[in-house]
Amino acid sequence: MDTDFEPRIVGFLCNWCSYAGADMTGTSRIPYPPNIRIIRVPCSGRVNPLLVLKAFLEGADGVLVAGCHPGDCHYADGNFYAQRRYALMHRFLDYVGIEAGRLRVDWVSAAEGARFAEVVGELTHVVRTLGPWSGNRMGQDVTLPS
Amino acid sequence: MMDMTEMTEQIRVKARELLSKDEVACVIGYETGPRGIVRPFFAYEPDEADRLVWNDRCAHNLTTYLHDWKHPRGQSQMPPSVGIVVKACDARALNLLIQERQLTREWIYVIAVVCQGMRDGDGEEAPLQARCGRCAERTPVVHDVLVGEPTVTPARVDWSDVQALEVMTARERLAFWARQFDRCLRCYACRQACPGCYCYECLAEQVDPLWVGIGIDFSEKFFFHVMRAYHLAGRCVDCNECERVCPVNIPLSLLNRRIVREITELFDYTSGLSPDEPSPLTTFRPNEELTL
Repeated sequence: MDTDFEPRIVGFLCNWCSYAGADMTGTSRIPYPPNIRIIRVPCSGRVNPLLVLKAFLEGADGVLVAGCHPGDCHYADGNFYAQRRYALMHRFLDYVGIEAGRLRVDWVSAAEGARFAEVVGELTHVVRTLGPWSGNRMGQDVTLPS
Repeated sequence: MMDMTEMTEQIRVKARELLSKDEVACVIGYETGPRGIVRPFFAYEPDEADRLVWNDRCAHNLTTYLHDWKHPRGQSQMPPSVGIVVKACDARALNLLIQERQLTREWIYVIAVVCQGMRDGDGEEAPLQARCGRCAERTPVVHDVLVGEPTVTPARVDWSDVQALEVMTARERLAFWARQFDRCLRCYACRQACPGCYCYECLAEQVDPLWVGIGIDFSEKFFFHVMRAYHLAGRCVDCNECERVCPVNIPLSLLNRRIVREITELFDYTSGLSPDEPSPLTTFRPNEELTL
């Protein structure tokens, strides 16, 4: 394993719960890995699964999608749609060569600052073990396998 | 089993009747081209009905042509009725389009044909197409007139091609798909042939692309193919037209069928069986919890 490897993780956090949850992590002074780059979105239902794929192809090694707990969505049902999409996308990404562990979809409420740190910590650990995702450099420094 | 010549005759009689009574503006079917290759045919006049044929080379899914007919020709005008020859898999595509409000059932006259499977290559003994070997439902689910006798063929469940990929590691799968997508020309034949791909402006072909590129490097081809498959999640009727028309033989059915299987496992849903049931990704059950 490459010991210098620092995973790049993109986090899509819903504005109403998870983004506030991440804020809570900060204000509570709870440390979490700095590998995550957070993108604030209106709702987890806004995160088109293809945005996740795009993140991988643009250089991410891991992606976190977090939203309100089912039933707590600000828009009533956005996360239920997200849940269905990601239940499928999770399995499908693995099938096209992006290990299932690289994508984490979870529910983090605005009060769960400690839980956010935990989720990011676990994801960073998993991605660190998996190593860099080679697909995002395919055709550049990585040649096509024969 | 009914003879193919007899079936051809029934299709011709029906098409002639529809066209001469002016019930439809056009009958979409198959004809044999000058070099003996079966191709789609649009009969506009009663006399043209005699050019229609039916045999085991009528592979095209003609429902994709209905998109050209679905718009009114003028203000407050209804689109003209159209007759269409469909096989069992095509009939499911019809249900999909009716469910998605692309078509109204009343505008289409469905000449449904009981299909015995399509063959590739020359000669009588040419092998069945892979999709037809797997086909369990040979009697179309939608019809105004049914040509042939309904038969029940036992389903031959065969996921061996998908499973062969699943036993690989993710890294090996990535390498596999990289090799397959490397051939892609971005000709969009797969998209054009698909009855479910009907956006006016495709995300993959924007005039001003925002985040979906139109290039042919690895990442953009990879993105395009995953996108195409994912846009058809819960909608794909597994007619396999995309794979059949691919000029560089990319095994697109491996992508589609994997999603079809996941949709069945997760949501117990088969697309195109009913014109009322929406795709599972456009709906949800209250308080459901899925493993993520």
